[in-house]
Amino acid sequence: MLENAWLAWLILGSPLIAFVLVGVVGRRLPEGGAYVVVGSFATSLVIALYFLAQVLLQGAVGGTTSFSIPGFTWIPGNPATVTEEGKIEIRLLIDNLSAFMLVLVSFLSLLIAVFSIGYMHEEEGKPRYYAEIALFVAGMLGTVSADNFLQLLIFWEIMGLCSYLLIGFWYHKPEAASAAKKAFLVTRVGDVLFLAGILVIWNVFHTFRFEEIAAEIPVLWGSSFTPQLATLIPLLLFGGAVGKSAQFPLHAWLPDAMEGPTTVSALIHAATMVKAGVYLTARSFVFLVPIASGGGILVAAVPWTAILVVAIIGGFTAVFAGSMALASYDIKRVLAFSTISQLSYMFLGLGAGAYLMASEAAAGSPEVNTVGYSAALYHLMNHAFFKALLFLAAGSVIHAVHTNDMREMGGLGAHMPWTSRTMLMGALALSGIIPFSGFFSKDDILAVTFETGAANPLFYLLWLAGIATAFMTAFYTFRMWLMTFHGEYRGHGHPHESPLVMTSVLLVLSAFTLASGFIAFVTNGFGNFVFYEEPHAALPLVTPLLSGNVVELGLTGLSLALAFAGLGLAWVVYARKSIPASTFTRTPTRAFLHSMLLHRYWIDDAYNAFGSRAVAGFGMATDRFDRNVVDGIVNALGRGTVVTAALADRFDRKVIDGAVNSISLETIRSSLALRTRQTGQVQNYTWVIVVGIAVILALAFILGFLPRALGRP
Amino acid sequence: MIPVEYELILSLALFCIGLYGILVRKNAIIVLMSIEIILNAAILNFVAFSSYIPPSGDPAGQVFALLAIALAAGEAAVGLAIFLALFETHGTVELDKIRLLRW
Repeated sequence: MLENAWLAWLILGSPLIAFVLVGVVGRRLPEGGAYVVVGSFATSLVIALYFLAQVLLQGAVGGTTSFSIPGFTWIPGNPATVTEEGKIEIRLLIDNLSAFMLVLVSFLSLLIAVFSIGYMHEEEGKPRYYAEIALFVAGMLGTVSADNFLQLLIFWEIMGLCSYLLIGFWYHKPEAASAAKKAFLVTRVGDVLFLAGILVIWNVFHTFRFEEIAAEIPVLWGSSFTPQLATLIPLLLFGGAVGKSAQFPLHAWLPDAMEGPTTVSALIHAATMVKAGVYLTARSFVFLVPIASGGGILVAAVPWTAILVVAIIGGFTAVFAGSMALASYDIKRVLAFSTISQLSYMFLGLGAGAYLMASEAAAGSPEVNTVGYSAALYHLMNHAFFKALLFLAAGSVIHAVHTNDMREMGGLGAHMPWTSRTMLMGALALSGIIPFSGFFSKDDILAVTFETGAANPLFYLLWLAGIATAFMTAFYTFRMWLMTFHGEYRGHGHPHESPLVMTSVLLVLSAFTLASGFIAFVTNGFGNFVFYEEPHAALPLVTPLLSGNVVELGLTGLSLALAFAGLGLAWVVYARKSIPASTFTRTPTRAFLHSMLLHRYWIDDAYNAFGSRAVAGFGMATDRFDRNVVDGIVNALGRGTVVTAALADRFDRKVIDGAVNSISLETIRSSLALRTRQTGQVQNYTWVIVVGIAVILALAFILGFLPRALGRP
Repeated sequence: MIPVEYELILSLALFCIGLYGILVRKNAIIVLMSIEIILNAAILNFVAFSSYIPPSGDPAGQVFALLAIALAAGEAAVGLAIFLALFETHGTVELDKIRLLRW
C-alpha cells in the first residue's frame, strides 16, 4: 500500500491551484506569478519523488507495482450488478511507469519555469503565460497519472488547449496565430481517432480502466473481442498518438509551433506534450501485446498489423523528419524536426519491441522480452532531458541575438560560453555520442529493431532507416551548433551571455543529459524501472558485452561510427569549410533536393493546397449550387409569395376594406343626418310622440276597426 | 243624469286644450299648467266611468280620482321646483332657450 495516497492528488492539484491563482491575481504578483508557478511545480516534484521512492521501495525495480488511488465516482454504474457495471470513476494510477513519468514531467517543468523567469522577463502578458504553463503542466501530470482512458483523454485535451494558447502566445503575430490554429486542428484529427478508439473500447469492455481492460481481454477474447477489434482499437489509439507526437502524416503542426516562445517549445514540443503520444502507445501495450489470464502472452490476440503500422510510421518518420532538418536555417525548426525524428525512434522501439515480444511468445518462449518497450521509454527520458536542454539553449541564443535565423548567428561561442558549452553537451547527446545519454537509448532501440528483423525482415529495412537517421541527426545537430557558435558573428546586435537564472538551468540540464543514461545501470536495466509486467534486465551496451554477441557490438560500433561521420562531415563543411556548403546545391538535382527539404517535401503546401483548392473548390461548388439552385428555389418561392400577397392585398383593400369603409361611412352619414333630429327641445319630442301615437291609432283604426265595421258583420 | 258621452266629450276637449298648450306654448309654467289640464281630463274620465258602470256605479273610480289629484299636487310641486332651479341657473324658463340635451 502507498502511504499518504491522497497526496497524489496534489501532484496535479498544485499546478491547478497555481493556474487559478495566477490567472486571477497574476497581475499583482511579482514577475506575473512566476514564483507561484515555480513553487507549485516544485511541490509537484517533491510529492512525485515521494511516490517514486515509495514505488521503488515496494519493489518496482525488478518487479511490478500498481496502485490505484481512489478519487470520486463520476458516473454511477448499474447498482444491480456486483461490480456496478458501467461505473466511471476519477482515480489516479501510480505504477512504475506513471511514477517515473510524474517525476520526469514535474522536474522538467520546474526547470523550464525557472528558465522562463529570465527568458520572459521583458515580455508583456506574463500572468497569461504563467497561468497557461501551470494549466498545461497540470494537464500533462493528469495525463500520465490517469487511471483510465477517459480521464486520460480529458487531460490530453487540456494539454491540447494549452498548447494552442501557448503557441499563439504572441497572438498579434499572424504567423503565431495561424501556427496555433494549425497545431490545434492537426492534432484534432488524431484526437478524433483517439476518441473513436475510446468509444470502441467502451463498447467492448464497458470500462475505461487499464487494469480492468487488461483482465477482461482474455475473458472476452473470441466472444465480443474479435480479431478485427483487436487490430482496430490499437490503431485508433495510435492515431491519437500520431497527432500528439507529430508523426507522419500529422507532423505538419510541430515545426510551425516554433512560433511560440522558446520556453513553450521546450516544455510542450520537446519535454512533455509530444511525449504523451509515446506514453499512450506504451499504455496501449495492453492491446498490442495482450496478457493471458494465467500470465504470459495471449498470442492469438496479438494485432500484428497494428504493431507493424506503429513500427513503420516510426521508422519512416525518423528519416523523413531528420532529412527536413538538414536544410532548415531556423535554429528552432532544426530542433523541431529532430524532435519529430527522435519521437519516431521511440515509436520504432515500441513497435519493434512489441513485435519481438509477441513473436518470441509465439515461438514458445515463456519469458516476456520487454527490451523494446523499455528502450523506447528510456529514450523518452533521455530525449526529454537533452531536448529540453537544446531548446532552452536555443532560447538563450535567441534571447541574445533576437533572431531564429542561423545565417545571422555564428561565433557566439565567444560571447556566450555557458550556453555554447551546455548546448554542445545536448548536441552530443542528440547525436548519440558515447557516453552521453542519447547514445545508450538510441542504440538500444536500433539493437531491438535489428533483433526483430529475424522475425520479420521488414525490420531490417526499418533498422536501415534508423541508422541513416543516426547519421543525419549527427550531421544536422552539429551543422546547427557550428553555424550558431563557430566562426564569425554574422548578425548586427551585441550578443551577451544570458542571466544566471537561465544558465544555471542549462547547467543542471546538461548534468542530467550526461547522467540520465546511467539510470539504466543503477536500476540494472531500464526495463526494471518502467515495465508494467515481467521485468527484464537488459542493459545498454553491457548486455551484448557480457553475452559476447558480436553482431550487436558490431551494430553499436556502426551506429557510433555513423554518428561520428555525421559530426565530422558537419565539421568539414561548416567549420573547416574545406567543402563549401554550396556543394549541396550546385547541380540541378542537388538544388532540387535541397529545395524539396527546405519546403518540407511540399507536404505543408499540399495540405494548404488541399485546403485552398480541394476544400475551397468544394466550398465554391456548393456556393454555386447554393446561389443558383437553392437561392433560385427560394427566390421563386419568394416571388410567388409576393405576387400572391399583392393579390390578397388588393382583395383586402378593395373588397373587405371597401365593405367595412362603406358600412362605416354610411353609418356616419346617416347619423350626421339623424343627429339634427335631436334638438334638445322637449316640445319637438312631444310632437314626435303625439304624431306617433296618432299614426298608431290611425293604423289601429284602419286595420282593426274599419274592416270589421265595413266588411264583415 | 248627465249622459256619459257629454262627460267624455268634455274630457276630450280638456285633453286637446292641454295637448295644444304643451305643444305650442314656450313658457314652462304654462306647459306645466297644460299638463295639469290633461291630468284633469283623465281624472274626469275616471269619475265619469265610476258613475256610469252598471248597475249602480263603482266607487273605485272616485278613489282613483282622489289619489290622482294628490299625485298631481306633488307633481306640480316638483315641477315648479325644477323651474325655479332652471331660472336660477339660466335666468329663463322659456323652453326653446333651454337646450342642454342636444347634439
